[in-house]
This record gives sequence, C-alpha cells and structure tokens, in this order.
Amino acid sequence: MLQPIIGFAGMSHLGINSAVATAERGFHTICFDEDTSLIKNLQNKELNITEPQLPELFSKNIELNRLQFSDDASQLYQCDIVYLSHDVPTNGQGMSNLEIIHSLIQKVCKNLSPNAILVVLCQVPPGFTRQLQKIIPLSRLYYQVETLIFGNAVNRALFPERFIVGTANVNMELNQTFQQLLLAFNCPILTMNYESAELAKISINCYLVANISVANMLSEICEKIGANWSQIVPALRLDKRIGQHSYIMPGLGIAGGNLERDITTILNIAAQYGTENSIAKAWLYNSRYRKSWVLKILHQKIFSQYDDPTLAILGLAYKENTNSTKNSPALALLENLKSYRLQVYDPVVDYVIVPWAVRKYSIEETISNADVLIIMTPWDAFKALTVNDLKKYMRGKMIIDPYHTLQGTNFTSAEFEYFTLGQGCLC
Amino acid sequence: MLMHTKEISHSRVVVLGSKGFVGSHIVHRLQQEKFEIFGISKNDINLLATEAETKLLKVLKPNDVLIIVSSIVPCKNAEMLVNNICMMQIICNVIKLISLSHIIYISSDAVYSDDLTLISEYSPAMPSSLHGMMHMCRELMLKQSINQIPLAILRPSVLYGNSDPHNSYGPNRFLRQIEKGEDINLFGEGEEKRDHVYIEDVAKVVSLVVRNQSTGVLNIATGHSHSFKEIAETIIQETASCNIIHFSKRNNSIVHRYFDISATYKAFPNFKYVAFKNGLRKIAQKHQIIA
Repeated sequence: MLQPIIGFAGMSHLGINSAVATAERGFHTICFDEDTSLIKNLQNKELNITEPQLPELFSKNIELNRLQFSDDASQLYQCDIVYLSHDVPTNGQGMSNLEIIHSLIQKVCKNLSPNAILVVLCQVPPGFTRQLQKIIPLSRLYYQVETLIFGNAVNRALFPERFIVGTANVNMELNQTFQQLLLAFNCPILTMNYESAELAKISINCYLVANISVANMLSEICEKIGANWSQIVPALRLDKRIGQHSYIMPGLGIAGGNLERDITTILNIAAQYGTENSIAKAWLYNSRYRKSWVLKILHQKIFSQYDDPTLAILGLAYKENTNSTKNSPALALLENLKSYRLQVYDPVVDYVIVPWAVRKYSIEETISNADVLIIMTPWDAFKALTVNDLKKYMRGKMIIDPYHTLQGTNFTSAEFEYFTLGQGCLC
Repeated sequence: MLMHTKEISHSRVVVLGSKGFVGSHIVHRLQQEKFEIFGISKNDINLLATEAETKLLKVLKPNDVLIIVSSIVPCKNAEMLVNNICMMQIICNVIKLISLSHIIYISSDAVYSDDLTLISEYSPAMPSSLHGMMHMCRELMLKQSINQIPLAILRPSVLYGNSDPHNSYGPNRFLRQIEKGEDINLFGEGEEKRDHVYIEDVAKVVSLVVRNQSTGVLNIATGHSHSFKEIAETIIQETASCNIIHFSKRNNSIVHRYFDISATYKAFPNFKYVAFKNGLRKIAQKHQIIA
C-alpha cells in the first residue's frame, strides 16, 4: 500500500506540532498557511513557538524532505488526507472565534482532490463538524480530538494515549487511508459520532479543570490549618480512582486558553439547552480567585510592612517549556504591580508585553538587590537556585514560589520567609 | 471591580447625608484633601418631604460629584424599607435632570447573602435581610437612572470608629460598655468572625474613588476577620480594663464572614487599611480609656 500524503492547514501551535509528529512517523507532510511571512520563516527553519524536541524533529524532517511548507492552498491537492489544524482563537473570556476556521475550510475544500478526506482537528464546539456537510460529503469528513499539552506537545502528538475519531455514522467503516495513518501511531482508535467526539474533547478538559479546582480548594485549606498538600498528593495518586497522572497540583488559576475555551463552550451549551451548569461556573470562579494568590501575599506580607520594595519576578510564560502567555498568572500579577519596582526575567518570552518592568538577562541579575523573589513559572533553569545564591544576591529574605520550584531547599533554616501553594508560609 | 476613568477630580463634591456617621467622616476627609465640599443633611433637605425634589434640584449643579450616603438604617421593617426607597426615588428623579460628573453610592455588604462566608465583588448579591434588600433596590434604581454618568457602588462591611451613633453588637458597643465600667456580654462565646473596617478608611476609599472617577462595585473590607471574643479581649487588653466578658446561650448557628479584597489591591495598589488593633487604639485614645 502506498504511503498517503498528509496535509495540515493552519500552522499555529496545534498544526506545527501535529505536522512534525506525522512527518516523524514517516509520512510526507504538506503544511499550508495563508500567512506568507509565517511560511517563509518555517521554510527558513525558524520556529515561532517553544516546545521540547520540536526544533530537532522539525529540522530533521525538513532535511529528510518529509516536511514541506507552502502559502499556496493548491499544494493540498496532492494530499490524501488534510487536517484542519489551526487553533481556534479565543478572547479574554474564553469565547471562540470561528471565523478564521470557516475561512480556512472554504479555502481547503476548494483545493481538495476528489477522493481526499478532511479531518477537523481544531477545537470546534459540538455540532460544528456535521454542519460542514453543505461543503463536503460526510463520507469524506472526520473530526479528530486533539489532546496536545503546551510544553509537552510533540511527545503527546508522537505517542497519543488513543485516537478519538468522530464520524457521520458510528456504523460507517473508517476510511482505509485514514486508518493507515492512525495505525502508524500504534494506539487504540475509538470511533463515535461527530457530536460525541466533539464533546469528548471538552469532557477531557472539564475533568482536568475539576481536578485542578479541587486541588486548589483543598490546598488553600492546607495553608490555613498547617497541613501540607504535597504530602497528601502521593496518597491521592496511589488511589486508582484518582490516578498517577491526575491534575492534582494546585495552581494560580487555569491558563493557556484551551481549558478556559472549553468551559465557556460548556456554559454556552448549557445555557442554550437549559441544563444545570453551576459546577462549571464554580471552576471559573475558583480560577479567578486563585489568580490573586501572589498579589494577596504581597499586600499582606510585604506592602503593608515595607516601603518601595524591589520585586524580582522569574517567569512570564503561563507554564514551563512554552512561550505562550495566554491568561498567564505572571502577566495578571504584573498588571497589578505597575507602581512598584520590578525586575523581570523569562528564558523565552518576549518582554514587550510588560514594558513597565525592568528587563533582566539572567537569573542572578534579576534577583540582585531584590527584597522579594517571586517565581511565577517553574522553568527548570530556576530550580538550580540555592540558598547561597539567594543570600549572595538578594537584599531581602522573602520568597514567593507558588509551584514549589525550589524544592529540596530548607529556606526556613536560612531565615527566609518562604510561601508556596498548599503549605502557606514556611517561616 | 472598579475601573478608573480619569485622575484627579476638580469638580465640587456634594455629600448627601453629610452629618451621619459615614457622611461626616467622608466630608472631613475630603475637606482635608482640599476638595470643594457641599454637605446636605436631613435638616437641609428631608428626602421624605414633599418639596425634597425641588430643593435638591436647586442645590445640585452640572458637573458635580454626588456622594449618596443618606439612608434610614438599619432598615428593620417594611415601613423603613419603603421610606428608603422613596428617598432614592427622589434622588433618581433629580439625577435624570442634571448632568453630574460622577455618582458614588455607599451601599452595604448586606446585599450579599448571610450564608456567604467568603465574599468578593463577584459574589452574587442575594440579600437575606430587609436592610440588604433596601440597598440592593437602591443600587438598581441608581443604575437605571444614571444614563451615562459614571457610577461607583461601595459596599462597606461592619464599621467602627468615633462618633458612631449606633450601638450595634461589636467594637463600638464594647468600648461604650468599658467606658461605663460595664462588663461585655457576648452571644455564645463570641465565635463569629467579622471584617471590621475603621471608619476613616471608608473616607479614604471614597476619596480615591472620587479622584479616579472610578466606576463599578467595590467592597470596603480589610481582608482580615476577627471573632467578637477576640475583639472584646483586645479592647479589655488595650484599655487595661478590669471588666469581665460574659458568655450567653447561643440561639443562632455560628456564621463567619470573610472578604477576598483582591479587587481593592488591584484598584488602589498603594492603599493600606488600618489594622484592627490600631483602629481600636485610635478610638480608645479618643475615649481616653487607653491603657
């Protein structure tokens, strides 16, 4: 059987990572985006996103001629399968903007070969895929759930736990060429109707958010009663009903855009059909509440006692291993600290987004003469900081480290006041 | 959440209810900050009297900032509720006719349900009392009447401070009891926690809201809640009093009240509330009963 040629239309985070993983699995992959400058950069091997393994696999597959980029939609005519792979943009409230997706579909469908199939990979709301029957026969149309994680996207795309595929009719056999592609990833393939698959994607994210919200609620109680959430977590992970990989680490509210979008979608559907949605509202409420965790500590412990403190902030990205700052807790914090002295460093994020802060170029430079150190993104590079480093460079002795990035260091014996989620103040 | 629309107001500030506990402190603060103030008390214009609307219309000028403190509180019965609504009706009728530059309404945290234990500006307003319902109605009446005028709604928690005419359960009553040499009586063991705000802080927040022409809702609370027992003990300690705390049989279940004041940190990053102990000390000094 001939290897099918795979197309990806839309070169945002989802498209690039999925295309690179597909090429790495040995398929000739054609990547289209109408953004000419983006395509030029990709052709010049310049990536605009940060993901572990991505630069290496990206370069390798270009050199092997398995990965090709074009701003000419007619190139997709060669493809047996075309993925619609543009991330759905969202606004600050998590509302999806589907205009770009509709426009992309029109362009792609005009350039599909007569037997090619179209797979919707982007994060569309339930009901979206079936509506495309006006443009393309349902027998050539599939929806596939994406479950990429920022900061671990290539690995997730290369080694998916399972494929969830939506079809027009669950009794319909999966297209042979499509099967050939999916089988190359050596994981279970679950087929269901479009609506179930579209909702499956959102269901996964709802469960993740539910876990995070429970962890947030309980970890705050830990901070008040002297319990330690990090001691409780291993006990939860060994419970099969909760599991080793569950999202039970507390955080500073959900960020990144994807989880927020899916909760907003669920709220909209619930409102449209009159179903009970107070739990999803509570998740958003909890998320907004958690975003102010660092700000509250600063006001209660620092600003109430010290005049004009210098704050060193390490990390701007919403999580480690990504340059995404969508709904980043660091940016939300900095937005409310404009009247204070700020020294900021992030290994990959562009500083233009926080022009009111002083940009620093290294960790040491950032913490120099700082009264307070705040670690807003748990980058690996920050984990190497020691008590001696802090004593050497900092003026003050206050550390706010929500994600417990500086694990294994006894700050209390070094007379530091150390604040972390789920434990409160260790001082 | 509050949004700021401009910095530094040069408009005249009219305080409706200027002689009351809250109003008088606001007037005093704004006068200290050199604002042009025009105070209106019940003696000047009785908002329940027939000529109130005409009188108020005569007094207000275009571009004034109007601070509405005036109300009959605590609102304990239907008659008081109706009167408070009638007073606001007069105010609403007048503000529809005059292009004010800014309106600030001093509401109350009673608009939130009594069962809510952690309150923020995002909490749903679902009053459990006539007093809360009165403030909520008045907020809604104002919102419907302001047209394009910027409106700030401030919802203070329980207040304490000098010249409080009320003798409600809490710091003011306890201090009076100490002053008279009486013992302090607590409900149950005084376990309920409340967020007590020093009255001068309310005036400071109002001043910031005027200066920034802020709009939206802001709770006025310190973010720290103390039990009535702690309050009584602190007062006795600070005044070195020999008085005793008496506990009594509890008739109602214990309900605590905390505030998440992130919105205040965001709206006014440099503002600091007076710590409860310091606030008590200030009052005790005035009463000349400090240790």
